[in-house]
Amino acid sequence: MIVFQVLGLTLLAALAAVTVGAAVRGKLRRRSAAFWLLVWTAAAAAIAVPKLTMIVAHALGIGRGADLVLYCTILAILVGFFFLFARLRRLEEDLTRLVRHLAIREASDPSDRFTVSPTARSKKRRPSPGA
Amino acid sequence: MTDDQIIVIVPAYNEAATIGRVVEEVRARYPWVVVVDDGSHDDTSRRAREAGAVVLRHAVNRGQGAALMTGIEYAHRRGASCVVTFDADGQHSAEDIPRLVEPIARGEAAIVLGSRFLGAAPEMPRGRRWLLRAAVLFTRLFSGLKLTDAHNGLRAFSAEAAAGIELRLDRMAHASEILDQIRGLGLPYREVPVTVRYTDYSLAKGQRGLDALRIAFDYLVGRLFA
Repeated sequence: MIVFQVLGLTLLAALAAVTVGAAVRGKLRRRSAAFWLLVWTAAAAAIAVPKLTMIVAHALGIGRGADLVLYCTILAILVGFFFLFARLRRLEEDLTRLVRHLAIREASDPSDRFTVSPTARSKKRRPSPGA
Repeated sequence: MTDDQIIVIVPAYNEAATIGRVVEEVRARYPWVVVVDDGSHDDTSRRAREAGAVVLRHAVNRGQGAALMTGIEYAHRRGASCVVTFDADGQHSAEDIPRLVEPIARGEAAIVLGSRFLGAAPEMPRGRRWLLRAAVLFTRLFSGLKLTDAHNGLRAFSAEAAAGIELRLDRMAHASEILDQIRGLGLPYREVPVTVRYTDYSLAKGQRGLDALRIAFDYLVGRLFA
């Protein structure tokens, strides 16, 4: 067994342990845990038996096993980017809505000056935590 | 429609140098000016308030499109009959506002867009002119509207249009987004000539060549993910 295999398999075993631990403690949904375990297992299989990637690569018409791994990695990164981007956009939209809500609620409204007397306003204001 | 049913929205980000003068100029005729301070780090809010504007302040900077939408939503909730958007950097002229409001007051249009190419922009640098021409072409390609000026901040919306518009692109691509929504809502629109004053200040604050790519990117991504 070469050094890379030892390091890689150790790392993957650790990752699998962390994944299982998180699932048991309820920090990770079961379906997500199963997905990640599948990924770690596939990676471990590819590292332990390099011939496996070659067999799959040939079946798909790709020359070398290493190429198959490379293509799969790039594809996975692209898919990840897509979901990350969509989520970022949703997050930005939520942030904008929140900022807008606060801005409108706390508008410096000229009509307030006439409806709320200065004393009523100072009573309403709560002391800030730092004060 | 009386002048106090018209809300003029001025989105502003770090415009302390010009905002007071802009608010005063508009308020000389239209008393209800709403400045949306988009998380400025300078005195924009204070100057605007001192000049008599209602100030809505974004806690963090969200971009001009977001600021405009905040103003439009506020105006809609306040029951404005007409919403005018006006730039904070002093490049628009308050004298043009009646010309934008008129078609809405008469019920002839729901959205009126200012066009510097129908009107005048005496100091416009040549580079800016070509950039804006390209923007018009881009707009024609993607929204199908035949306009002469695509990215002018001086616009007017009827109450109906203000209620229907929902801008989701926070940064500068909202100009194209507004046009898409005009088409989507099927509301009558028109362009009127306006004057745009180019000053060193407004040029420094304005969009440059590379920003156009960013805007186009934001717009196309918005169409993919919205």
